[in-house]
Amino acid sequence: MNRRDLLRAAGATAAISLVPRAAEAAWARIASGYRGTAGLTPAQRALVAGVADVILPRTDTPSATDVGVTEWVDLIVAEYDTDDVRVPFLAGLDALDAQVRAERGRAFGDLDANAQREIVGGLDDAMTLGNRGGRGQAAGSTLTPELQVRAARAAYRRLKGLVIHGYFTSQRVEREVLRVRTSFPTFQGAAEHRPGAAR
Amino acid sequence: MTRREPYDAIVVGSGITGGWAAKELTERGLRTLVLEAGPPVTKDDFVEHVRPYQMKFRGFGDPEVLRRDHPIQRECYACDEMGHKFFVNDHENPYTTPGDAPFRWFRGRQVGGRSITWGRQVYRWSDLDFEANAKDGHGNDWPVRYADIAPWYAHVERFIGVTGAVEGLPQLPDGEFLPPMEMTVVERHARDRILAAFGGERVMTIGRAAVLTRDHNGRKACHYCGPCERGCVTFSYFSSIGATLPAAHRTGRLTLRPNSVVAEVLYDPTGARVRGVRVIDAQTMQDVEFEGRVVFLCASAIESVRLLLNSKNAAFPDGLANSSGTLGKYVMDHHYGSGASGDMPGFLDKRTIGSRPNGIYIARFRNVRRAEKNFLRGYGMQGGSSRAGWGRGGSMPGYGAAFKQSLTDDLGGWRLSASGWGETLPDVRNTITLDPVVKDKWGIPAARLDVRWRENERAMDEDMQTACAEMLEAAGCTNVRTHGSSNPPGHCIHEMGGARMSRTRDEGVVNRWNQAWDVKNLFITDGAAMASSACQNPSITYMAFTARAAAYAVDAMNRGEL
Repeated sequence: MNRRDLLRAAGATAAISLVPRAAEAAWARIASGYRGTAGLTPAQRALVAGVADVILPRTDTPSATDVGVTEWVDLIVAEYDTDDVRVPFLAGLDALDAQVRAERGRAFGDLDANAQREIVGGLDDAMTLGNRGGRGQAAGSTLTPELQVRAARAAYRRLKGLVIHGYFTSQRVEREVLRVRTSFPTFQGAAEHRPGAAR
Repeated sequence: MTRREPYDAIVVGSGITGGWAAKELTERGLRTLVLEAGPPVTKDDFVEHVRPYQMKFRGFGDPEVLRRDHPIQRECYACDEMGHKFFVNDHENPYTTPGDAPFRWFRGRQVGGRSITWGRQVYRWSDLDFEANAKDGHGNDWPVRYADIAPWYAHVERFIGVTGAVEGLPQLPDGEFLPPMEMTVVERHARDRILAAFGGERVMTIGRAAVLTRDHNGRKACHYCGPCERGCVTFSYFSSIGATLPAAHRTGRLTLRPNSVVAEVLYDPTGARVRGVRVIDAQTMQDVEFEGRVVFLCASAIESVRLLLNSKNAAFPDGLANSSGTLGKYVMDHHYGSGASGDMPGFLDKRTIGSRPNGIYIARFRNVRRAEKNFLRGYGMQGGSSRAGWGRGGSMPGYGAAFKQSLTDDLGGWRLSASGWGETLPDVRNTITLDPVVKDKWGIPAARLDVRWRENERAMDEDMQTACAEMLEAAGCTNVRTHGSSNPPGHCIHEMGGARMSRTRDEGVVNRWNQAWDVKNLFITDGAAMASSACQNPSITYMAFTARAAAYAVDAMNRGEL
């Protein structure tokens, strides 16, 4: 039994009065445009937003950026990560940005949708094949082309995880897409599976 | 120093056993003072319904708070972004260990203690457990057998409410159960396959848990929201603040004093009795003395032993009630976490609904019918099955609209996993002493813990992996992978021993009634009194011993013996 899974699976009927004040204040700051000094640069934010929306695009349900995933990644980088995680991650994003500009002549966000999917597809294939990449180097260091590729792949791997967590734990997705409930009359261990049913 | 009016009984600690002592003593007519080191907690403090998006770090935890205040506690799964408030500040509550013997001491200092965050699994012991020390010579013979405790297990079960399934296993006696929670379709399938493959010797059953599957004794049935370790506004799982302390309060004979750090049990050599306790008010730092006719130590195994060691005096220079020299020795925890997991093909048209606060349990099967392995005693296994849902997305190939749709609509395959909870042999080398230098925030000498896994535990850990993999394969799982555990002692939060129960006064600290051999009005009824650990989660056994000891104490007082 994974008790952490229980946390994720917990329901959605919390009274708003239970929102911890610290969290409420933090998200209000983020909503007003506040960003910590250790967070993403504008170029990194644009890259994160672009990649996130290729991973989870807008369909009949919201996209990653529609539910604030860029801000979530920014928060994690600025206030959660320790330096040994933050520095290589940001270096990897920079390496990916540099790679895209070198190969395509413009930033990721300025490419058309096909080109964006091609890039993300390459990174995703590399991740799936088990090439998890290195940990990158400190920002500002000079990376060899091979190290750039490895750093970019490592950053993508982590970014994908953050994007998915940020997306599926957002209020809008919990309520509108997953339709999470928190109260059940009993536990059912062998219910029929119907896609889209409330969680 | 302020002296307060005498009480009939003083209970140190307000958690699982403190609550039971309070209930039983007050209901039997004693004016009882319960002292709790931490602050009060009410159900307004519970946060089980806070959603991830209402947490700043979406459940990852506030790194600044956890690193600053809980560098040790944060290793417990329940000390997370919302639940950390139910764990002590490690800087205010230090303990020490030898450099080569790590120990994790997870603690909650608040009214309710760790009954707020406990895992709620409750299993009766059997005579396989109570006779084990006598049969293999490790530890001392218990002065009680299952028949002595069985009525008290029933007494506890009837009050707290235990969900479970009757199995008829001699090594895991059935209790008085509320209806069982459902096993998943995969668990039912695995149970049948494992029963068939191992001749009925390995039985997977639904976990037995102190969670209500129907309304019971004024508490509401579980609503299956999930994170019990953050509290429960309906008190659907047993905690002292939801059940025993309110029962004690209803008698009109309970006085509950939070923020009361008990520093010393006060001994009166003229009568060979304790006369009360010295408390440091956690907020004012002032000393206060309370007097009582009888004192129950229910502060948790390590805290109660530490308190006895800190209560040494001229009559007991090595710790109160320690004429046997065994105080602080034979400390145990369960070694746990080794096992296996695998994918279960099929069943993709089935899912679970609701978050079950419980898992499956595989009753002990080693050294039950025959001596069969290269280790003594045995282990039970706990686990469960689930489908990963969107959580699999980070490691799953794909991106784009179809990928997103699959994370939303498809739940992924089923995984089944289990891990062992193993009995630790009582060993005189596993000890609690006082650190000669380090003190806590209130100036009380800290505990020094030297507890180590040894050869028997290591051999059992190996077998947990092999046996679990065998069972998962027999159940039909694919991609079966074993996992070993590196959890140090203490990590299971089942610390026991240090003031063990014994047949004679020269081999233990308390007698068959949890009464100190040396001090007849002093009772130790938490995990400290355990003479062996068995492999079952121990809390219900502590509760049964506590209720039994309280009844004995009141009867003895009524007879004029105390």
